[in-house]
Amino acid sequence: MKGKVAVIGVGMIKFGELFDKSLENMIQEAYLNCLKNVEKGIDPKEIKAAWFGQWSGGFIGQGAQGGQSLASMIGNLNLSCSRIENACPTGGDTFRNACLGVASGVYDVVLALGAEKMRDKPSAESLGGAGGGGGAETGNHPSWMMGQGGPAIQAMHATRQMHELGYTMEDFARVAVKNHHNGSLCPYAHYQFEITVERVLNSPVICWPLHLFDCCPQTDGAAAAIVCRADLAKKYTDKPVYVWGSHTGLDHNQLWDRSSFVSQPSVVRAAKGAFEMAGIKPKDVDFAELHDCFTNTELMDIEDVGFARSGEAAKKLKDGEFDMHGKLPINPSGGLKAHGHPIAATGLGQIFEVVTQLREEADKRQVKLKNGIGLQQNVGGPAFGAAVVNILSRSR
Amino acid sequence: MTQPVPASPMYWRFNTEVHRLVGIKCQDCGHISYPRTKICHECGSQNLKEYKLPQRGTIHTFCVNWAPPPQFEPPILPVIVDLEGGGRYGGIMTECGSPDEIKIGTKVEMVFRRMLTDRGLNVYGYKFRLAEEG
Amino acid sequence: MAGIIGYGVYIPKFRIEQKDIAIPWGSWAPGEKSVCGADEDVVTMAAEAAGNAMRHAAINPEQIGAIYFGTASSPYIEQYVSPIIGEILGVRPETTRIDYLGSLNSLGNAVLGCLDAIAAKRIKCGLVLGGEDRATAPGTEGDANFGAGAVAMVIGTTGTIADIEDIDTYATLFMDRWRSAKDSWVSNQADYRFDREYGYQTHVAGACKGLLGKLSKKAQDYTYAVFAQPDERIPSLPAKELGIQKGQLAPALASVVGDLGSCSAFISLANVLDKAKPDETILLASYGSGASNAMSLVVRNQIERKRKQLVPLEKYVNRKQNITYISYLRLKEHLKRGPY
Repeated sequence: MKGKVAVIGVGMIKFGELFDKSLENMIQEAYLNCLKNVEKGIDPKEIKAAWFGQWSGGFIGQGAQGGQSLASMIGNLNLSCSRIENACPTGGDTFRNACLGVASGVYDVVLALGAEKMRDKPSAESLGGAGGGGGAETGNHPSWMMGQGGPAIQAMHATRQMHELGYTMEDFARVAVKNHHNGSLCPYAHYQFEITVERVLNSPVICWPLHLFDCCPQTDGAAAAIVCRADLAKKYTDKPVYVWGSHTGLDHNQLWDRSSFVSQPSVVRAAKGAFEMAGIKPKDVDFAELHDCFTNTELMDIEDVGFARSGEAAKKLKDGEFDMHGKLPINPSGGLKAHGHPIAATGLGQIFEVVTQLREEADKRQVKLKNGIGLQQNVGGPAFGAAVVNILSRSR
Repeated sequence: MTQPVPASPMYWRFNTEVHRLVGIKCQDCGHISYPRTKICHECGSQNLKEYKLPQRGTIHTFCVNWAPPPQFEPPILPVIVDLEGGGRYGGIMTECGSPDEIKIGTKVEMVFRRMLTDRGLNVYGYKFRLAEEG
Repeated sequence: MAGIIGYGVYIPKFRIEQKDIAIPWGSWAPGEKSVCGADEDVVTMAAEAAGNAMRHAAINPEQIGAIYFGTASSPYIEQYVSPIIGEILGVRPETTRIDYLGSLNSLGNAVLGCLDAIAAKRIKCGLVLGGEDRATAPGTEGDANFGAGAVAMVIGTTGTIADIEDIDTYATLFMDRWRSAKDSWVSNQADYRFDREYGYQTHVAGACKGLLGKLSKKAQDYTYAVFAQPDERIPSLPAKELGIQKGQLAPALASVVGDLGSCSAFISLANVLDKAKPDETILLASYGSGASNAMSLVVRNQIERKRKQLVPLEKYVNRKQNITYISYLRLKEHLKRGPY
């Protein structure tokens, strides 16, 4: 894929509890923002195919969404369009599939769009909908998924991180503090306020050892990217961003098939595949948007992607390495923690951030670029066995 | 989301697994999968033998869920248990008076309990309780 | 001759003291009673008792020819629970599964059913089990007295720890307690003297006399007399009529675990067998709904050898946690959270 695919436009809406916006409203706004973002302009008819990321269709009561939903909502019925649902990595995987559509040589210009309406239900129920502990085979059989939603699964990892790696609740809280600081500088973030370690630790316990402020919110949102053949990119923009690597990494469906609870093998596999494709090493990356659905998850992500050895992420975080102006800024957008986690929009929102940073258009939250390489990562699904990593660069 | 109901084929299909804890042990890599499967989840081997999960073990990890799904009274205690003799099982604790009673390494045993009731029809399965000494 | 090859019991962990029940309703009785946890019912309790019985009996589930489940507290009006026990144990599809329901003599009748099937040579070995967690309403007799527990017995002809010499029934039309299909509590006519003397005493003594007559034995000959215990003092009524001495009567359990309904006599039997010695004899009588089944048992040598596999009642009696009346009301679903 390296050298074949370029991002020419990204667009999103401010994430949040968008009670006044329907799924269609959000999709249309993100799409229009994305068209506008193409520097030299684009005729929507040039887009021949689309990949539509949608996770909750049917779960939260919007009815099942398919490729037709996107084609109809953006008034482009000549599109070839598929829906992607791959749990929490849905957004990142939708982007990957769009890139594959271009890299295959079948299409020149395609759209990747992800949208999620989480808050048509109270957040507890919405969270319940998001909490599939059972795998594809066992589904929601009560014998195997009692109370094993996302927070419980990640909290069980956190318990183990504390036990094996000596991590503390303060270590987890520092992730939230950093990401809330970044989010306070991001106009698209769900939460744009700062917090302190004390505030995290004094917030209600959701799932011990995780507090309310260790958990990402339930967020509505939509985000999109237009990708095209790398050799055509300059026709649309002087600042194209190129896709170097894109890989999904997988692991077991059932939590008890997992060998470790301080690492997520799906992320290790996704990162390995993406780095191999890109022909680079973790140290070559300037900054990353990682999947911090829970604060402890970000520490695991940092280690699993290869930015720190197992057990070292917390110290590096404490030393400021992952701050906005640190050695390796992590989640300059505010991450899922502050920026929000509208499942299928999350990954594309991260792509929006990576592209914006690489174009040096991130304003107050702009990170320093050295190699001009950014990384995006998601993880989720039953037993957190699904992950995706995309690596983007300023140079082809 | 519409769930299958207790009288549905999905529940019926898992009767043996749910009531008798039948899984498989891979004869090539030793991985234990539960419920039963025809291809080892770890290595893809088809050289498998049925393996009944042991009903005692120690807590590998756990959490204290104060925000469980609406049908539960908080807190609930999800656990992943390393079973004596091999295999893991994920479940929740029952009869636990206080979250302080469990930690990593606590000995537990499976007990057959009611999991949910749908239109008066009960679904049963295994939970964990603190194991007796000895 | 058929007998008990192995047995097991189960009592839930939770207890409520009578003085706590008396807080809203006034004084009732001494002691405490057992209470099911939120995820327990007769099926889950009987499942644990059955596991204990199978391990005590040390037999293979394939040898079980029939499962007889006796209870007055089945979660279902239509649908048996014995097949659930069959599935847990992994018995053969050819194994008969029958529920004996709707009477406090249901477990007594389940034992009778098993003995008949063995006598008719239809099966060699059966699992008889039962559980009780009867429906109550706040402030009723049941609220104060009904406990929860389960018992299971593997009954067959080889490897017995106690032989059942004979069994006899005494039954008339007598309606002391009932629960209509529409009610979620047990009703009674609250005429205690009539119930105790013309109900319990008449039938228990009647069944014992019939049995003793057939066996040409006297009640005084038995080491132990084990009668159903709806309350602590009531066994003394038929005991007096039969000439049974106080020392022969099985230890009282009603103030420890509550009234265990159709399981009462058999959990009491388990309690006696936990300590019984070879050649000791037991006169047992169940009672419920105007019917009593009396059995004559002789303890065998095997009982000593099998003790290492035994989980005694004492373990469950000692394993307890007291709860408040408010917690009790929530467990019984008498107090429910409104929609929110």
